[in-house]
Amino acid sequence: MKKTMIAGAVGALLALGAGGAFAAAPDWGKVEAKDITLFYPGVSPLEWIQKGTEHGGARALRKGETCADCHSDETADMGKKIASGQKLEPNPIPGKAPAIPVKVQAAHDGENLYLRFSWKQPAASGAAKMDEANPVKIAFMLESGGKVELADQSGCWATCHQDSRTMPGADDAKKKYVKGGSVAEGKFYDLYQWRSGENKGFNGHVADTRVMEGGTALVSAEGKQDGDTWSVVFTRKLAGGEGDVTLESGKSYNFGFAIHNDNSAGRYHHVSLGYKLGVDADGDVKAAKQ
Amino acid sequence: MARLRRPSKKSLGGLLAVGIVVGILFWGGFNTVMEATNTEKFCISCHEMHDNVYMEYKETIHYSNRTGVRAVCSDCHVPKDWTYKMIRKIQASREVWGKITGTIDTREKFEAKRLELARREWARMKASDSRECRNCHSFDSMNKESQKQRARKQHEMALEDKMTCIDCHKGIAHHKPEGMTEEDEE
Repeated sequence: MKKTMIAGAVGALLALGAGGAFAAAPDWGKVEAKDITLFYPGVSPLEWIQKGTEHGGARALRKGETCADCHSDETADMGKKIASGQKLEPNPIPGKAPAIPVKVQAAHDGENLYLRFSWKQPAASGAAKMDEANPVKIAFMLESGGKVELADQSGCWATCHQDSRTMPGADDAKKKYVKGGSVAEGKFYDLYQWRSGENKGFNGHVADTRVMEGGTALVSAEGKQDGDTWSVVFTRKLAGGEGDVTLESGKSYNFGFAIHNDNSAGRYHHVSLGYKLGVDADGDVKAAKQ
Repeated sequence: MARLRRPSKKSLGGLLAVGIVVGILFWGGFNTVMEATNTEKFCISCHEMHDNVYMEYKETIHYSNRTGVRAVCSDCHVPKDWTYKMIRKIQASREVWGKITGTIDTREKFEAKRLELARREWARMKASDSRECRNCHSFDSMNKESQKQRARKQHEMALEDKMTCIDCHKGIAHHKPEGMTEEDEE
């Protein structure tokens, strides 16, 4: 009897655990895909985009325009200009991909949010590996309510600063941060990452500094490469703990993502402009209930 | 005496004819010389212009473009209207003094002074509501639909805020000077 009860309890726990880890992903063939082209940003931190003497759009930013309002159609061209060293890159890497077109799909089932990213692997540059362990890393960030200054307009740029590591002359220990960052006050970006080499998902946040762990919303992050095409699916609970953005139906959230391609690290990634993720709401990427 | 006091109609006519011819020659000569100073050849005959600003301008769309229309130095820097042109030419005579005394006769001297020179020209353009730009460009004739997203957005904002071309287009034909401040971009 005792044995039966223990076996039953273990079985129930296993079933619950499995339910959590393998939540029912949607039929991606039926979910609309949004095309977003990531581009190589070079050295263009938050400080740079606000500097009128260097960025013609600084005035537009002050007027409340978003980066995407002016640049969403030309990210591939921007990437070419920057990756080649023509602009904003003091240390161009020969053969570095200027841009990566990505398909983004989102859905939810009332309990979890599912985000799928797929893209074609660009040609390798042959440059020295910055991250030996991980040929590819993909991350996305969410921000709620525009509490972080410029989050509504600039996406991940609100976390990207000229004194963060790998920026010219910056301290190697200084990570991403947001101005006045505070999890308690809601001034933070919720951060998720999947690393190909380690085949592991991370759930952290960016407040006064960037941490890769501590979040409790991530259920799973799974990625694979079929031929030359990568696809990565993140599953996260709509609800979240400290340092996680709680997602509610009918609301939109600031959303941006980035790929570290070609064993790169730090600022040598490809990034999206700032977009909106709508949960049963309007957005550049829409997560509808399945 | 009577002959002296009363010149014949013939001689009066002759005097008038000579006056007209001299006037035409003088006026024609004056304008020809003034127009000669408006040519690109004249502008870049000084190495100060040729080696610095001209080389930068040659990289830009005002020098070479798909439609084959070129704006030379005077198109942007000298007014077309006669009165404004004369005022500008008189002001520009200072540059002769600059040439004689060698105020920008080396690259270093030019770079040290270019912000001051650029600010002077930007102020002139702003004061005239970018009159020389508008000899060719106007918001009315701009088809914003065929512009790139970024240009369209910027022009819509410029119209809304009653801005003038030079407010945004500093550095369109020459490199921007070092040391510009945020006020320069206001």
